[in-house]
Amino acid sequence: MSTGATIALLGQPNSGKSTLFNALTGLRQHVGNWPGKTVEKKEGSFSYGGKEYRVADLPGSYSLSANSDEEVITRDFIASGEADVVCILADSSQLQRSLFMLADYAGINVPCFLLLNMADVAEDQGKKIDAKAIEEKLGIPVVPFSATDIKSYDSFYKTLEKALSKNSKINVSDLATQYESIKGYQDICELIPENAIEGYSPMWLAVKVLEKDEVVIAKLKNTLDAYTFSRIEEAAVNTSGAVATGGCKFRWIDELLGETASAKDNTVKLSGLDRIYINKFWGKAAVILTVLLGLIASFIPALPLMGVGEAVLALKAPVMNGLSSIGCPEFIILIIGDVIIQSFSYIFKMLGFVFGVTLVFGLLEEVGVMARISYVFDNTMGKLGLQGKSVMPFLVSFGCTMGGAAGARVIDNWGQKVLTIALAWAVPCGAAWATIPMLAAIFFGPGAVGVIVAILLTMLVHMWITAKVFGGQLVKKEDRYGMIMELPPYHKPKWGALFRYVLGRTKETFVRVTKVILLVCGIFWLLSYSPSGNGGILYSIGVAIEPVTKFFGLPWQLFLSYIASAVGKEGAVGVISALYSGGSYGTAFTQAMSGGADTSNLSSLLLANVTKPEALAFIFAMTFNMPCVVALAATFQETHSAKWTARIVIYYTVVSLILAFIAYHIGMLIW
Amino acid sequence: MSLSEVKENREALVSEVKGDTRFMSRITSIGLTPGCRIRVVKNDKNRPMLVYSRDTMIALNRKECKGITVEEVTA
Repeated sequence: MSTGATIALLGQPNSGKSTLFNALTGLRQHVGNWPGKTVEKKEGSFSYGGKEYRVADLPGSYSLSANSDEEVITRDFIASGEADVVCILADSSQLQRSLFMLADYAGINVPCFLLLNMADVAEDQGKKIDAKAIEEKLGIPVVPFSATDIKSYDSFYKTLEKALSKNSKINVSDLATQYESIKGYQDICELIPENAIEGYSPMWLAVKVLEKDEVVIAKLKNTLDAYTFSRIEEAAVNTSGAVATGGCKFRWIDELLGETASAKDNTVKLSGLDRIYINKFWGKAAVILTVLLGLIASFIPALPLMGVGEAVLALKAPVMNGLSSIGCPEFIILIIGDVIIQSFSYIFKMLGFVFGVTLVFGLLEEVGVMARISYVFDNTMGKLGLQGKSVMPFLVSFGCTMGGAAGARVIDNWGQKVLTIALAWAVPCGAAWATIPMLAAIFFGPGAVGVIVAILLTMLVHMWITAKVFGGQLVKKEDRYGMIMELPPYHKPKWGALFRYVLGRTKETFVRVTKVILLVCGIFWLLSYSPSGNGGILYSIGVAIEPVTKFFGLPWQLFLSYIASAVGKEGAVGVISALYSGGSYGTAFTQAMSGGADTSNLSSLLLANVTKPEALAFIFAMTFNMPCVVALAATFQETHSAKWTARIVIYYTVVSLILAFIAYHIGMLIW
Repeated sequence: MSLSEVKENREALVSEVKGDTRFMSRITSIGLTPGCRIRVVKNDKNRPMLVYSRDTMIALNRKECKGITVEEVTA
């Protein structure tokens, strides 16, 4: 197959860019990072007419100014010439406003075409858009499009080929005339030579100078001689900035659209759903209910994959028995059973969750509910330096931290995404919630309620402190601005594109996390392994440093169980039970992890061996420890950063021990 | 008057937008420019404001609204 062109998709948020990208590329997509940047890079490919096209989904933003890394990356990528053609998306139902991106693009010397998305919605609203007339005025191909209509894709491909063959560029003469009315524009424009910065026209650069775009100004300073640059600076003094140039852009858009754009009716009808979400009193409750229902719903698509995970685990015993009957060395059998099969069981269960959460969250995003969630929780989450959407991963983390981490992908700013995941780790997950009341009831009877309340309060303080600790680096002060965001109209979901996206992400997660989980499980196993069945490195270390861990209220048995809780909280109690009944750590560990540990006489064993302050210390240490290996892998997958994943792990280990220390010493005062 | 003083379901014309470079650029790109007509849909304390303009529902942080001066349109 011959190699075709590279297409870049450019559009404001809610312009349907991601849907188009998913529909075009399906499973043939890859998410990574832009080189040296923390912004996500989505690439994919599709074939048409015997040619293989590459597609780059550029980060969504409202303009091409220098407000964020995303915007600078977007325009640099385009200007670099890596893309042969840019497909600019606009929402037909809000055409005037969403054409701003086109107006901001005009002056970049890369061929482009305009895609008027959601043509069906506009038609339903009685808006008539004359695409032919717009095409004539603009000088680039214009195609009405609706993602649900199969015929639309045909015209998309045809328009793409037309734009490529004609090398079509926007006719900017009318826009330039608009800009000429701005004081200083003409002087600056004349001072900037053609090709001062590769890919941008003098008009585009002059407008950015007027908008006080620091990145462009710095580049001009580097390329132009000092005298010319100082004259540009002089001409730019006391000009009116983005408001004036924005006014020009919108006037140009109005001219372009002609009669069709004349604003008729400015009345709005809130839908029934919005009346509830936007309500001062019910909004938050409605959002929480929505997320919880979503969480429950996400279990349904997750179940088949989780079943596969269970089935893999069920293979463990027969495979190990089979291998031992053919005389395979024990060490190999253990690696195959306790590391490889065990890991794949985790991985499949995790994929089930990733699949379910990605599907449900993707659906909420696509239909427009996510924007309402952002709106309702903007103030609360803003105090932590986060977006309103961050509330969703937090709620999901009460069920499963891995789901929370996977759900954090709806947050479009990398720093805020990492911070959200870092805070979500502090939320005790379902497995912790199964363990906490059980242990607390054994030791404190009715006082268990008090322990649960204390855990919840600690969680809130923990999140607040963690936001302070990591917030400064992850979310810079200048990035903490108030919300300026569109609440899109509700849309019907595009199931095909959504499923392809979810399958793509699940596949990619599988590839990436398999390595991490095998590695971490392998390391833990090696540290627990001893040829004699008794001992092992972790065991020896645990016993040796008991004087230190006792300081945190953890005798060696509890400390090793705490270590095991970093792999999976489900196993923590099983490990305690095995260790106090004289079992070896290595066996206890793997048995507990596969759910086979015996906890029948747990209550009497614990009461005989563990004091109340120690129990309290353990509950806190276990709850606020790293959630599990799978959450670790999911965090790495979503943040794309080994450095930040490691930082979060170390931070949580330290903090959980500090909390154990505090709980232990408070316990000593009480009992 | 400031945009945040406009009551719910009233319309106004934007007369001036003030703020730092970043704010100006963001508010312009979402379509709130001088001369544009907006309707206040929701104006609750402790919540972003909701305004409707250029066929679009826009949520705006209350503090940032202070930089937007409007003239109320008497219907």
